[in-house]
Amino acid sequence: MGCRPAAAARRHCQAVSTPLRGPDSLPQQLRIQVRVIGALLLRELVTRFGRENLGYTWIFAEPLILGLALGALHHISGHALPGGLPVVVFWVTGYMPFYLLRGLLNRAPGAVTGNQSLLYHRRITLLDVLIARNLLEGAAVSGAMLIFLMGFGMALDFWPDSWGTLLLGMVILLAMTHGAALILAALSIWTEMIDRVVHLFTYLSLPFTGSFFMVFWLPSEAQQAALLIPSVHCFEMVRHGLFGTAVPTHYDLTTMLTWVVGLNLSGMLLLRIARRDLMV
Amino acid sequence: MIVLENVHKSYRLHGGTRKAVLRGVNATFSRGEAVGILGHNGAGKSTLLRLISGVEFPEAGHIRRRMSISWPLGHAAAMHYSISGADNARFVARLYGKPVAETVEFVEDFAEVGQYYRQPVRTYSSGMMSRLGIALSLAVDFDCYLLDEVVGAGDSRFALRCQAAMLERRERSTMLLVSHQAETVRAFCTTGAVLKDGRLTRYEDLDQAIAAYDAG
Repeated sequence: MGCRPAAAARRHCQAVSTPLRGPDSLPQQLRIQVRVIGALLLRELVTRFGRENLGYTWIFAEPLILGLALGALHHISGHALPGGLPVVVFWVTGYMPFYLLRGLLNRAPGAVTGNQSLLYHRRITLLDVLIARNLLEGAAVSGAMLIFLMGFGMALDFWPDSWGTLLLGMVILLAMTHGAALILAALSIWTEMIDRVVHLFTYLSLPFTGSFFMVFWLPSEAQQAALLIPSVHCFEMVRHGLFGTAVPTHYDLTTMLTWVVGLNLSGMLLLRIARRDLMV
Repeated sequence: MIVLENVHKSYRLHGGTRKAVLRGVNATFSRGEAVGILGHNGAGKSTLLRLISGVEFPEAGHIRRRMSISWPLGHAAAMHYSISGADNARFVARLYGKPVAETVEFVEDFAEVGQYYRQPVRTYSSGMMSRLGIALSLAVDFDCYLLDEVVGAGDSRFALRCQAAMLERRERSTMLLVSHQAETVRAFCTTGAVLKDGRLTRYEDLDQAIAAYDAG
C-alpha cells in the first residue's frame, strides 16, 4: 500500500494533519511556516559552517575561491569571446549561477536522509527543509556574485546594465532549480540510486545549462534546441541584465515561469506522496 | 484527546515481502490519562508511538489529534548531533515559538550534562542524550508526552526527577509510555494496555493489564 492515488491520499492527509489545537487559520499556519523556515535557516548555518574558524564567512568563500580560480584561468589563457564580451566577467558571472544550480541539485537527495531527525518535529515538513537550504544557498551565491560585481566595477569599470533584470534572472533560476530539487528529493526516498545519478548528470550537463555559451553564438537550428532547456533562458536573462544590448539575448519569460510553476507543483506533490513511504 | 481508528502499518523487508506490525489498532487517549502500553520486543511499541507522534504515517485508518503531542522520547531522536545541546535548545525554542534565552537555561538545568552542554551532541553518552531529549520536550510543554522506555535508560536520580516532572503535569497532560517492563509502567501510569499481535487491548485497571501481559 503506502502511496496511493490522490483521493485516498487526500483522505488520509486530512486525518493525520489535524491541527494541534483546534483549526489553525491560514495566517496562523503561514506564521508557523515562516517560524519553522527561520529556525531551519539558522540551524543550517550552524551545522554547515559552525561558529569557529571564520564561521559564517565560509558561505561566500567557496563560490568566491572557485570563481576567482576560473576567472584567473580564462584571463591567462586570454581567448576572446564573440561579441567582444569582457572575458573574466563572462566566465565568472556564468559560473556563479551554475554553481547555484549544481549545488541545489547535488545536495537535494541528501536533504532527506541528512535531515530525517528533523521530521520528529511534526511542524517541520520536507518542503520546509528544502526551502531553508535552498534559500541559504541562493543567498550565499548571490552574495558572492555581488562581491564579484563590485570588484569588476572598481577594477574594470564594468557595471551591470540592469540590476533588476540580473536579479530577476537569478531568482527565477533559483525557483526553477528549487522545483527540480524537490523532485529529486522525493525520488531519493524511493531509490538511493538518485544520489549517484544526480552527480553524474550535473557534471555532464555543464556544457548544456547555458552557463558558458550564449544562444546567439549558435547556428539557428541549434538556437531552437538550446531554448528547449529551461536554464538556458535564465542564463540569457542574467546576461541581458549584465551586458544590456551589447550582445543579443534570447529568453522568454512565459516559458521560464511555466517551468517554475510546473517543476514546483510536481515536486511538492511527489514529496507529499513520498513522505508517506519514508521510514524515519 | 487522541483517537486511533483501525490503524494499520507494515514495513517492507529486504526481498520485497512485508511485515505487518499493527493490524487494526483502536484506542482513545484523553487528557489527564497516564497509560502504560506493554509489549514484548518487536511487538510494535515504537512504531505505535511514531504513528501517534506523526513522524510516520499509517497505511490505513485514521489518527485524530486534539492536542499537541511530543515526539517519541527515546534513546535518541529529534536532535542534531553535529551541533551542541545549547544550539539544539535554541533551535527547538525558535521552532515552537518559546523565548530562546529561558529555554536554553531550562534545558541546561534539567538535562544536567555539565560542560557537554556547549559540545556537539555526538560526543554525548546515551544517558546524556536521553536526558537532553526529555529536557527539550519539557521546555516545549506539550499536551501529550510519548515515552519510549526512556525512564529506565537514565540513572535513578534523573528517573526520579523525570517522574516528578511528569507527575506534576499529569493533571493537564496525557502521557503514553511504552515498555516491556511492568515495573516501569507501574511507576508512572494509572491505566494499562497490552500490544500483542498487532492489536492493542486496553484495561481500566493497571494490575489487570500487567496480569494479561505476564500471561502471554
